[in-house]
Amino acid sequence: MHNILATMLQPDPGQPSSVDNASIWNHMSDALHQSLFRILSQLIAILPGILALIVALAIFTLFGMALSALLRHGLAAVRFDDRLARSRTNTDWAPSTSPTALVARTSFWACVLLGLIVGVSAFDASFATGATLPISLLPYFTHITGAVFLLIAGTVIARFLARSVLIAAVNTQLQYARYLSLGVKWLVLVLAGAMALDHLQIGGVVVELTFGILFGGIVLTLALAVGLGSRDLVRRSLESHAEHPGERGGTPLAPPNDGPEGPIRHI
Amino acid sequence: MATADPISEIVTPSAPTSVGLLVLLAPMPIEQMESVLAKLSASFPTEDLLIATPDECRTDSFPSLRIVTAPAATPSSTLTATDFVHAYQLAQKHEAHAILMLGPESSSLDSLALHDLGNAVLTTSTDLAVPHYDLRPHVGLISSAILYPLTRTLFASRIRFPMAIDLGLSLRMAERLASAAQRFIPVDQGEAPLWPVNEATVSGYAIEQFDVARLVQPQPSSPDLNTIFPLVIGSLFSDIDAKAAFWQRPRQLPPARDPAPIILTPCGDAAAEIAPMLNAFRLAYSNLYEIWSLVLPPNSLLGLKRLFALDAAAFRMPESLWARIVFDFILAYRLRTINRGHLLGALIPLYLAWVASHINITASGANPELHIEAVAAAFEADKTYLVSRWRWPDRFNP
Repeated sequence: MHNILATMLQPDPGQPSSVDNASIWNHMSDALHQSLFRILSQLIAILPGILALIVALAIFTLFGMALSALLRHGLAAVRFDDRLARSRTNTDWAPSTSPTALVARTSFWACVLLGLIVGVSAFDASFATGATLPISLLPYFTHITGAVFLLIAGTVIARFLARSVLIAAVNTQLQYARYLSLGVKWLVLVLAGAMALDHLQIGGVVVELTFGILFGGIVLTLALAVGLGSRDLVRRSLESHAEHPGERGGTPLAPPNDGPEGPIRHI
Repeated sequence: MATADPISEIVTPSAPTSVGLLVLLAPMPIEQMESVLAKLSASFPTEDLLIATPDECRTDSFPSLRIVTAPAATPSSTLTATDFVHAYQLAQKHEAHAILMLGPESSSLDSLALHDLGNAVLTTSTDLAVPHYDLRPHVGLISSAILYPLTRTLFASRIRFPMAIDLGLSLRMAERLASAAQRFIPVDQGEAPLWPVNEATVSGYAIEQFDVARLVQPQPSSPDLNTIFPLVIGSLFSDIDAKAAFWQRPRQLPPARDPAPIILTPCGDAAAEIAPMLNAFRLAYSNLYEIWSLVLPPNSLLGLKRLFALDAAAFRMPESLWARIVFDFILAYRLRTINRGHLLGALIPLYLAWVASHINITASGANPELHIEAVAAAFEADKTYLVSRWRWPDRFNP
């Protein structure tokens, strides 16, 4: 490659060379050629690293697929799901798939992650010993990965909390349940977005300031909405507590409206 | 009645000898306990009885009764896993032949009820004696709406109150329930309810139901529907999930009991009674439609849309729609379509809509028990839907 580039950069022997005739275009051409040569040389230097990353990722992905298939068949053979269902009683945290599929997927993605780590290590070593590339590509890549994880986690948490708040607010018969849910969702999303930007070191003080204003604004809005909208609810709750000290809020099991058949009792 | 103290702390006033019937009492005031003990003394030979109570009891009032201290218990409206474990451990320790578990406010039970429940497990081959409470129309609505129809449809049992708090247990039934309860204890879920009727049906044990008049119904320690409903229904759905291999097979339903005498009650102001429930349903329809659409098929959503448009006086939820809704929620619970806590929370407004419809129907002069039987029949008619979607959940479902 070096020879080819050197040949490309050699001046034409048939052309008469003279310092006087050397134009600015020749200087510029030389500069461009040297720059191209330097960049290509640096890319060639990190090519083995990239290749190592791809090979490591491919090998570990294939290994992960094989391990996942093995686990899937093995756990199905020993009826892992049924055994777990018999012993498992906690239903608060429930994955969206069967335990066997969860184990298989986890093993697959663990292998992929391992391949990525091995590949990046190889790339890092090759990068460090290769050319003196001026840009800090690798550290920034890790920051981007972290920021993406932050955003994904923030989105998942925001969705879960928004749904929890919506259902709880509806069952407490709050008329502004949807707004409350939206407020909580955006609160978490803004927090996750600010954290991601901070992780990427983008924006600096502007991001912090904007986040503070947005977060404070949403909290204030929610506080006003809840405070103004819940006056009746709080009044009813206080009256209820004053009349029946043992009872709590929420949909009562026995509403006070006694008909001829007596109070309604769900249990 | 969930208990906290270990069984080893029980104080036995006399040496353990074989007894006939172990009576396990829930915590109650001393006056109530004396009333229960008097009724028990009148119903059974006292030498056959062993009373276990967590409360302090003066034995001089009933010198012929053997009274031991049971682990301290917290009042609850349901029998919990810990209760069944302790009942079996006590029965084993004192070599009892049968157990009679009595819930809070059991002093309002008459002597005949105590005799029926205890005698069935003590002298006959019955393994589980369950009361059929003579309740007012608007009491025990979760049982009427969900527990009874599901138990009848899936476990082919006509036990009207599957979550009864007074039970008679044979020793092997108690052992079975203690074994089922053991899986809750290590994970600190001793207050989880158990389903004795389902356990007995799966084990092929004999169940008998007795008419019992209970003047006072205990109230849950937490009177919030949003707390109690997910606990009870989640527990039942989980039990249904665990026993899927049993209930998917068709089974013959035992013959119906003699119909209870129809008590015509004066029609009250149903509109005022159901107004908060309808408000809850309409608010939920406006806000939870997106979540319901993840669980319910379009046909059910259309039915809910029609319900939403009805005014209070004409509000009637078709039995088939309610059955389909409950089945779809069971399927979503099994498939974990959404978080299970969210799922059970999203069912509460639909249950309130059913309650409103039930009150409207009974206010129009219909016998509430006949309506509940019609609901259970709708569940039975739609069982094939549940079974087929349980087996092939991804099938197209209009």
